[in-house]
Amino acid sequence: MIKVIASGWYCSLQDEGRFGYRNCGVPVSGAMDQAAFQLANKLLGNEMGAIALEITAKGPVLEFTEAAVVAISGADFSPKIDGRELGMNVVFAVSEGSTMTFDSPSEGIRAYLAIKGGFVTEPVLGSGSYYRGITAQWQLHKGDTLRFNKNSENEVELNSIEPSLKSVLDNEQIEVFEGPEFGLLSSPFQHKLLNTLCSVNSQSNRMAYLLDHTETLSAKQIVTAPVQPGTVQLTPGGRLIVLMRDAQTTGGYARIFQLTEDAINRMSQKRAGEEIKFKRVDLPFDTHV
Amino acid sequence: MKNYPTYRMFGEHTILLDWPSSNELDVHKEVLRFARFISETFGDEIIETVPTYQSLAVYLKPEINTRLFMDTLLGRKISVSEIASEMPQLVTIPVCYEPDYGIDILEVAAAKQRAVSEVIKLHTDPIYKVFFLGFLPGFPYLDGLNSKLSTPRRNSPRPQVEKGSVGIGGSQTGIYTIDSPGGWNIIGRTPLNFFDSTQLPPTQVNAGDYIKFQAITPTEYDLICVEVDAGTFEWRKEAYHD
Repeated sequence: MIKVIASGWYCSLQDEGRFGYRNCGVPVSGAMDQAAFQLANKLLGNEMGAIALEITAKGPVLEFTEAAVVAISGADFSPKIDGRELGMNVVFAVSEGSTMTFDSPSEGIRAYLAIKGGFVTEPVLGSGSYYRGITAQWQLHKGDTLRFNKNSENEVELNSIEPSLKSVLDNEQIEVFEGPEFGLLSSPFQHKLLNTLCSVNSQSNRMAYLLDHTETLSAKQIVTAPVQPGTVQLTPGGRLIVLMRDAQTTGGYARIFQLTEDAINRMSQKRAGEEIKFKRVDLPFDTHV
Repeated sequence: MKNYPTYRMFGEHTILLDWPSSNELDVHKEVLRFARFISETFGDEIIETVPTYQSLAVYLKPEINTRLFMDTLLGRKISVSEIASEMPQLVTIPVCYEPDYGIDILEVAAAKQRAVSEVIKLHTDPIYKVFFLGFLPGFPYLDGLNSKLSTPRRNSPRPQVEKGSVGIGGSQTGIYTIDSPGGWNIIGRTPLNFFDSTQLPPTQVNAGDYIKFQAITPTEYDLICVEVDAGTFEWRKEAYHD
């Protein structure tokens, strides 16, 4: 078991997501940065979708009441065990009674603490991902306990992967496909959208990233239609909204772009004030019929 | 050949079908027919579909070649048109319209210069069509509000609207299925769980169904609450020919 001594800013258990209920209005949820989440599980030899702890902006303080084998990927929060630096993207053994602490990352904003065997939580509609209104709990609180599977042997197979995060974090370009309403915009306007430098607003969260910019942008509302994680909406008032993993399933604003899977992961590591620019890429086999 | 949708990719693993906007109700029937056909025929290839008024999102498994799948769908046009619509159901929703539950009903009645009883009658008379679920888990997009009840959203949204609240926002009416911030005028509350994540499926009312509101007293509200909590409440549903 792991005891939560301090909750950090926003920690939640996440997996690949909750699929099969979007027609009931249930968001997908799941780890914001799926690449970092998968990496941490892969290092441990876990199943692809094993539940991990998503840590945001400020790390928690965790006390291990039993031994565990863990790996941490994503933004570098300088994780420590009893004051000793652990390093990122490495498998390490944590002994019973030790305490894990984190600093704040200098780049990126989300990290994934994966544990050998995976965390255990009551699955709701087929997923362990926290979501307010669907799961009883939606973020960690001081005093909570986290359980994990222990049936797998706690052997350390010193896996490690060279961190490739640097290039991911440095890049201000967010790759997008055209969204369903992109073609309705005039070509000078399309050009402007692709050359607008935007900065991440501090109100951004797991549901959506809001982008600030100084251009005059606008798009008419649409008849409510499907949206998904990575959909970029433009409001009549000029607000740019990038829907993220906890996004609603339908929306009424123009869908001008759709982020690539990779770009959603990259976006989820952006912090308030960081600048981004959209870069259009072609769909692998684009066609209109 | 009327009412055929256009197909396009919406990201790497999604196909979006869009119908031209003509008769809203006819188009929506087609959307649901396609949703049912695709779900029943391609269970191995798709994760799920999401219907709305005149669009259908088809979410594919990541290992499926989206382009090839789209060609397959196009080749199956005819079979889609042969599929029958699903028989919709009419679901009765008990609602307590007393001001303790419908905290804005007095305000709405005053703004409409109508007696509260008239507001209740205007709200309980129609049969509402459920176009689709979205916005919140289980939240039904309803059609059929009497225009005499249209009321602008409140100037400032409430930080928390209680689950089960029945509201009017502009020309729409709906039910807050979970506790949520919201700007609609609350005219009543239902004791029913519109979204229950412990049940499969988690919703009792689905796209294409119809609902009717039925006014109940606070005593009846409490009795239904007891049954809902005990798991003995039975939803009133009947077949409905549209």
